[in-house]
Amino acid sequence: MTRYIRLLGTFLRASLLAELEYRANFVSQSLLGVLWAGISVASATVFYTQTDLVGGWRYEQTLIVIGLFVVSQGVIQFLLYPNLSQVVSMVREGTMDFVLVKPVDSQFLCSLRYMRYSGLSDLLTGVIIVGAGLTLSGARLDLLAGLMFIASLAAALAILYSIWLAMSALSFWFVQIDNLAELFNSAFDTARVPVTAYQGALRFALTFVVPIAFITTVPAQAALDMLDRSMLVVGLGIAVGALLSSRWLWLRALRNYSSASS
Amino acid sequence: MRWIRAYLALARAGWASVLEYRAQIVIWMSTSLLMMIMLAVWLGISRAGPVSGFSSSDFVAYFIVGWVVRNLTAVWVSWELEYAVRSGQLSPALLRPIHPVHKEIAWHWVEKGFRMAIVLPIATLALALTPGISLALDLLSVVAFVVSVFLAWLIRFMIDYLIGILSFWSSQSTALSTGMEGIQLVLTGTIAPLALFPQAVQDVLRWTPFPYLLNFPVEIVMGRLSTEGIASGLAAQLGWSALGIVAAWVVWRTGIRRYAAFGA
Repeated sequence: MTRYIRLLGTFLRASLLAELEYRANFVSQSLLGVLWAGISVASATVFYTQTDLVGGWRYEQTLIVIGLFVVSQGVIQFLLYPNLSQVVSMVREGTMDFVLVKPVDSQFLCSLRYMRYSGLSDLLTGVIIVGAGLTLSGARLDLLAGLMFIASLAAALAILYSIWLAMSALSFWFVQIDNLAELFNSAFDTARVPVTAYQGALRFALTFVVPIAFITTVPAQAALDMLDRSMLVVGLGIAVGALLSSRWLWLRALRNYSSASS
Repeated sequence: MRWIRAYLALARAGWASVLEYRAQIVIWMSTSLLMMIMLAVWLGISRAGPVSGFSSSDFVAYFIVGWVVRNLTAVWVSWELEYAVRSGQLSPALLRPIHPVHKEIAWHWVEKGFRMAIVLPIATLALALTPGISLALDLLSVVAFVVSVFLAWLIRFMIDYLIGILSFWSSQSTALSTGMEGIQLVLTGTIAPLALFPQAVQDVLRWTPFPYLLNFPVEIVMGRLSTEGIASGLAAQLGWSALGIVAAWVVWRTGIRRYAAFGA
């Protein structure tokens, strides 16, 4: 365990050194992060110029959802996308061999190895938006609500991580997986507003088929003390299921891997 | 005659490339899904009654026609130019007897033909099946729509071309292109009809090229504009197109000298 923590520290340092080599890129990507956060806020603000409630949510409450959406984008930019794109190129070029011979768990090495620090700009901007939303909507966040918020946030991160790990695993079969990431991003745009803004089948699908509701809406509900306890249990259950099944898929993929030349 | 032959040859090569990247193109098209998400939210809001004069069927018409326009005006020339400059592939392209921009124009329109084969049937079906949609399909509106879509594409192309030319000076032109894409999502009316923006914002936007890139063509076909409104919009589009072409030409001439110095 301590070995893995030490390794993680090394990965963080190595990624930072790599990023320092491309400073202009770091600056422009960080600025882009802030710009896109602003666009996300603007896109939801337009609804509220015409109405007071979207799906039963007031503007300041929806801000929490947008903030969590931006935070998720930050996690994707900081960690999930860089590692996925490395896996894709390692599978394509056959350098995955070098990962497999190392005495470290391959999933650890393939999902936490690369960080792109410019993603932290999305992450921080998102945290600020969440904070603004919480303050404006007067969320009290006592001990119980706080714990539920943290638990649902952990479930959200686990679901997000699992989806991206599953995409990495799929790249062993389908080489053009970058496209799948693009497709995920398009579907993930639904997380910009509370899931209650959608009607009927779409709302059901976003809750139970592609559990996007658990990534932004549910943690926001927890913070606002609007969350049904049973939904938290369902969310944690989905998170555990997602972690286990993506792990299973990853191991399946490795067994299927036969290097690049064969 | 020489130009027609040149464009036909370029289009044939472009078509081969479209077929090679067909799956990729469908994925690029999926970024338009954001419009359908926004439509879904607006439909939820307008269930209680029209929103500033937009009924549910108006929202469907706006976003479906907007989706067609967005696909017809998609540009990516800055990425091509950035790659050509970075990899040095611009050098052989410059040796050809016609300017490299013509290849990009031809390839853009061939790709649009492919996109329309997917977009038009879906859009037609969606518009036909939604009750209460009335579009302005008289000859004048249709001609104005076609012209305005072409000019919207031309302005977008020139903006993106200008960003691409910046690759001669900076390695960050694609970041600028991505940022511009985000700004355009909001200010061209892609994520919401501009008519629903606060009046002050609309007044400012009128002096920028943005409303003419999507909102204006869509409003023509929705019958929301008077004949004078259409005429002044087209005039503004012509003005912005001319400005874009002149600016791109001037900046290209400056940049290409730098590129020559760079390779020598």
